[in-house]
Amino acid sequence: MGPSYHVLTFDAGQQIVAFPGQFAMVRGSTWGQAPLLPRPMSLLEPGRRPSILIKIVGEGTRRLAHASPGEPFDLLMPLGNRWSPCPTGHRPILVAGGVGIAPLLFFARELTAAGVRATMLYGGRSAHDLPLSEEVTEVSDARFLTEDGSRGTRGRVTALLESAVRETQGPVKVYTCGPDRMMAKVAEICRALEVPCEVSLETPMACGYGVCLGCPVKRTAGGYFYACTDGPCIDATAIAWEP
Amino acid sequence: MAFDQSVTIGTLTLKNPVLTASGTFGYALEYDDFYDVATLGGICTKGLSLTPLVGNAPNRICETAAGMLNAIGLANVGVEAFCRDKLPKLRARGVTVIANIFGTTIEEFVAIAERIEKDEGVHALELNVSCPNVKKGGLLFGCDANLAAGVTDAVRRVTKLPVWVKMSPEAGDPIGVARACQEAGADAITAINTIRGASIDIEAQRPRIHHRTGGLSGPAIKPLALRIVWDLANALQIPVIGIGGIATAEDAIEFLLAGASAVQVGTANFADPEAGAKMMRGIAAYCERHGVTVRDLIGRVKRNAP
Repeated sequence: MGPSYHVLTFDAGQQIVAFPGQFAMVRGSTWGQAPLLPRPMSLLEPGRRPSILIKIVGEGTRRLAHASPGEPFDLLMPLGNRWSPCPTGHRPILVAGGVGIAPLLFFARELTAAGVRATMLYGGRSAHDLPLSEEVTEVSDARFLTEDGSRGTRGRVTALLESAVRETQGPVKVYTCGPDRMMAKVAEICRALEVPCEVSLETPMACGYGVCLGCPVKRTAGGYFYACTDGPCIDATAIAWEP
Repeated sequence: MAFDQSVTIGTLTLKNPVLTASGTFGYALEYDDFYDVATLGGICTKGLSLTPLVGNAPNRICETAAGMLNAIGLANVGVEAFCRDKLPKLRARGVTVIANIFGTTIEEFVAIAERIEKDEGVHALELNVSCPNVKKGGLLFGCDANLAAGVTDAVRRVTKLPVWVKMSPEAGDPIGVARACQEAGADAITAINTIRGASIDIEAQRPRIHHRTGGLSGPAIKPLALRIVWDLANALQIPVIGIGGIATAEDAIEFLLAGASAVQVGTANFADPEAGAKMMRGIAAYCERHGVTVRDLIGRVKRNAP
């Protein structure tokens, strides 16, 4: 999918029962001493052939993206909390930024299977930053936005959120995954509109299961959440967003 | 037949030389899904303070070449919650528990040791006088022979448990600091804690760690740790517990040969949650292959050329 985005599919050898929003810690079995740590990756699909969406940001994701067929990996999954199910009678609006589409596409597929068609606002810097957009269209009413106008509406997803909420009949719930600044803005808009909002956190992590304490996220109530065990999916109002 | 894997640290006998390092194994129960933690030589708890600590602001960790930096800031549940919520479960499971404790003053170290003394289930105390990521205490104690001995002596007076002192690689004279702790009644020296390092994001032009510096751990520090352990084992009468970049059975055996009486596996737990279990199996296989016990290996490679 262009030079920066890749889907990596594993043969798990067994059925992996996982839900939208959960993640895996992924490390190449042959990496040796570097890269040292496994990488937290949101699951795109569960089952016997679980998959992840990769955006190349460094050495670990580069190795994942360029894995050869048959290359062995160590996966620890499923980890973390899923998106909470959309409350009865609420319409789901999914707001994705770039690679943040992975847990939301997984969620849209689950919703579709349950007979619910979600609204999706999907933004990226350019048309190249909207991976899996065809798959997204199949399972949601999708609107695309790009900052350079190369696809869909020019601008950021947050520009369309308020109107999307207002156009939807009845109560809505917003789910968002993308860059921190985008999610903070989505959370702010939802708070102003008094609409429930859930975010999926992304931070560096060493273990993925609450031991390293490397993934703190500031809490409204003081102290920190840990993205791995308290999240990654969590109510937006619980987080003290940094300016 | 199996070759004896047990080792002795002062008055404490461990069923094998593999311990898990403080701060990399939580309170051990988190690893229940991976293997039976009671099979380990022991587990060192997350550093316990007198009152709970929330830790440093993010980012707390980043990866570096064959290693990682961390500045967690000793986030922990506090000694009271540990004794109330974690210790009974560990005791019931038959886990050998080393309580790693941390104070900003000698009085705090003493108070934590006194609290632990009230309950059953802790087998030794490990004094963290070498944390690089807190503003008060920490490294200050571990780099000064008088202060390190002062903490050791004060804790020694209030506990019947074996007292281990966890050394910093940044002490100008590690042997001098360790000897002072030995004189003050330490039962063992754990070496080494992390060494301060830094990493800068050149695009954002800021440190990758909010605390600006962090403790470097992982394979990157193994040769440094091995040299210090070798020096200490050669100079001290009390046992040395090796730690620093130990990820595999082969790494552990190097430390044993250099004179460590036991080893701790730390950062490797993150790369592979079963690292400790694999290490135990690998050491046993090595002993089988060489027809030796673990005790036979300890200090077999001499520091000073004959």
